[in-house]
Amino acid sequence: MLRITGGTVYDPANGVHGEVRDVCIAGGKVVAAVEGGRTIDASGMVVFPGGVDVHTHVAGAALNFARGLIPEQHRKAVPVVHSKLRRAGLGGVTPTTFATGYLYAGMGWTTVNEAAVPVLSAKHTHEELRDTPIVDKTCCVLMANNELLLDLLEAGEYERARDVLAWLVWAAKAYGVKAVNPGGVAAWKWGKDAKRLSDPVEGYGKMTPGTIVAALARMVDDLHLPHPLHLHCNSLGNPGNVDVTLETMKVLEGNRAHLAHLQYHAYGGDDWGTIRSEAVAVADAFNANPNLTADAGAVLFGNTVTITADGPWQHLLFQLTGKKWANLDVENETGCGVVPYAYKPGSPANAVQWAVGLELLLLITDPWRIYLTTDHPNGAPFWRYPEIIRLLMDRDYRREQLNTIPGAVHSRLVLPELTREYTLSEIAVITSAGPARALGLPHKGHLGVGADADVAIFNVDKDPARMFAYPRYVIKGGEVVIEEGELRQVVEGRSFAVRPAYDEAVEAYLRPVFQQQYTMSFDNYPVGPDRVHGLEVVGPATQAGREPGEPGA
Amino acid sequence: MSCTLGEVKNRADLIIYWGGNPAECHPRHFTKYTIMQKGKYVPNGRKGRTMVLVDIRETPSAKAADIFLQVRPGKDFEVLTLLRAIVKGQRIDPRAAAETGLTLEQLTDLADRMKRAKFGVLFFGMGLSMTRGKHMNSAAALTLAAELNAFTKFVAMPMRGHGNVTGADVVLRYTTGYPFGINLCRGYPRFNPGEFSSVDLLVRGDVDATLVLGADPGATMPQPAIDHLARTPTIVLDPKVTHTSRLARVHITTAATGITAPGTVYRMDEVPLPLRPPLKGPYPSDEEVLRRIIAAVRKKPAWEPDPAGVMAG
Repeated sequence: MLRITGGTVYDPANGVHGEVRDVCIAGGKVVAAVEGGRTIDASGMVVFPGGVDVHTHVAGAALNFARGLIPEQHRKAVPVVHSKLRRAGLGGVTPTTFATGYLYAGMGWTTVNEAAVPVLSAKHTHEELRDTPIVDKTCCVLMANNELLLDLLEAGEYERARDVLAWLVWAAKAYGVKAVNPGGVAAWKWGKDAKRLSDPVEGYGKMTPGTIVAALARMVDDLHLPHPLHLHCNSLGNPGNVDVTLETMKVLEGNRAHLAHLQYHAYGGDDWGTIRSEAVAVADAFNANPNLTADAGAVLFGNTVTITADGPWQHLLFQLTGKKWANLDVENETGCGVVPYAYKPGSPANAVQWAVGLELLLLITDPWRIYLTTDHPNGAPFWRYPEIIRLLMDRDYRREQLNTIPGAVHSRLVLPELTREYTLSEIAVITSAGPARALGLPHKGHLGVGADADVAIFNVDKDPARMFAYPRYVIKGGEVVIEEGELRQVVEGRSFAVRPAYDEAVEAYLRPVFQQQYTMSFDNYPVGPDRVHGLEVVGPATQAGREPGEPGA
Repeated sequence: MSCTLGEVKNRADLIIYWGGNPAECHPRHFTKYTIMQKGKYVPNGRKGRTMVLVDIRETPSAKAADIFLQVRPGKDFEVLTLLRAIVKGQRIDPRAAAETGLTLEQLTDLADRMKRAKFGVLFFGMGLSMTRGKHMNSAAALTLAAELNAFTKFVAMPMRGHGNVTGADVVLRYTTGYPFGINLCRGYPRFNPGEFSSVDLLVRGDVDATLVLGADPGATMPQPAIDHLARTPTIVLDPKVTHTSRLARVHITTAATGITAPGTVYRMDEVPLPLRPPLKGPYPSDEEVLRRIIAAVRKKPAWEPDPAGVMAG
């Protein structure tokens, strides 16, 4: 039992915007009152619900491929020294699994969504997540270039495709459905791409990226999955891709979607020399479409490594940078590319990317629909989130930072004109309450009675970057894991998976097709429930987008 | 630029093996994944695929190949570099080609085939990666494959073997950031192959005890390393008697994974496969023995690295 007293509580999901009140915890949950137990005096401190990362890459074959590719960056990474509590590891741009848990918890984040999992290697992803302590986990399974699905859609068999999708979600022990460059990665299997929504998809007749997006969004809603279609739009990163992004919003036809790393999809211009921000157009269209949520995918200057299932984009980036490139296509399902990258303030294109992430966060009016991410590690490693919080809360600092990029770029941005400053309450929304709601996790992102007792307590500091980088206390599931800024206890995290409804007969359809197209036995394909550490199965929501079911056995 | 083996099965119309002898060393490779399979986009199977073998000698794998190219020993790097130049349309001195044991016509033909393929794959074995030039050869092969993607779809993959070596590589990468050659003496992982690889540590005599898991260094390592294993306490976990177990102080017989113990094995393309044991056996699994060793070590006074020492280092 635990009582946090005297803190200024920000719990926007329950309409609490900076009130001094107690938070009581028992049995890992927030409760109305407790008798006895420990008391934490949080007077003069700020109390937040634990952070929720809606889009990050912290585990899986692609990330692990990247780890192997960049020993020179590990050499510069902060080492995690082995202790009685801690396992040895490395921080840096692709932290090792144990370090990932310590680093997220160390800045007050307690739930993460691994955003790109192929079914074929989902066993491996869950192995890594098992070794990622403290934080609770969900993951999204890659579907928009899955040939079992695309072949059915091409044949016009929507119902069966939906059953296959549902079967695959459960086979991967996933929580949501991810679409990456729909059709484009399938085309990449032949060295091609599909950049526009009406482009043909190499290897298919009728299908276009637009029809794939529309069908997947409809399936996810038909199946009442708690999290909407998690969509990485076509033409990521290309100058002038704003048209594709706006068109994507239209083809969704009101179905729910979460637009991942929107920053990478809001560019104008014709080429790298003329690239400019189209954040205003994207934000305006987004504001008018209440079926959508998004995360920023913000960029910070510095070294990192880009990792995405968007194979053709990574090949282009390899050609642009001449740096290392790794590509790992996954049979029948997806691709994956890895390219180390440095965002430089002196580069006009990088400067535009840096600005667009902030612009979207400032221009999208409803903080409940846009969330803080860097598409870790693509835009910057997740442990740099506090720097973005400072940029959002402090316009003078923002202006200062604008002076570090070439002056000629300013005319291609709207950032110099934006004066909005985020409030602490809005920060609590974009880092916790909002993403928890978008994921459909009713027990996360708030401090109401019945919520998971995931709490971050910060010293008040006039520099928000320092304030949010070093919480004074972090409580996970009712256990104090960080105290006086130090790791005091390491708890295990849970994994949430969804079991959508499907016609069991779909397995009889899948088995022979699978045996023909894959290289392993069908029975070895699904992830057994016993392989997922701390598995909690969540039922589908009763109505699309509202009130997902409580976790059950 | 790699892929899982199913991509090769479903798409590859050009399959190159370089410095390897899959017919004898990976006997199921042809039939399960590559030339013999009918693929989704290669419906005619063997007839729809061209196989090229590049090696310094004519192994039994040559019989399976449509084209066999015999390279002069130690000239793989030169051949790969010439191919990169031809692919980019640069002019080649035929004498440079002749030095490799191949003619310019043979090289130009191979480069053309690679560019014309709809989906090409280059599998390279230890005959490339562990002979003169070593990692430079691997880098040249990978670069050639990467550059071919400017023209068509092309991938490359090392032909890994030795049981679950890929699995060890994968797990070490996510727990320490590095695949091998890792030193944890300072309490955090450091990486330097050539300094921290087990063979170097043993040859230098840097270690005072060795735990051997799923390997037989007594059969494969240089004599000074084997001598050091014999000189110092060596503990072997293995289902069978090996060269190493014979010179070890302690040999703990463990269950054979996949036969009497469950587990996970990673294929050479990093796809994990669950193992279900068909038999029961009397011996504990490697995992169980290690857990018991860790539990026993925990009872001893703790050693924690000194952060001050880390900073000074």
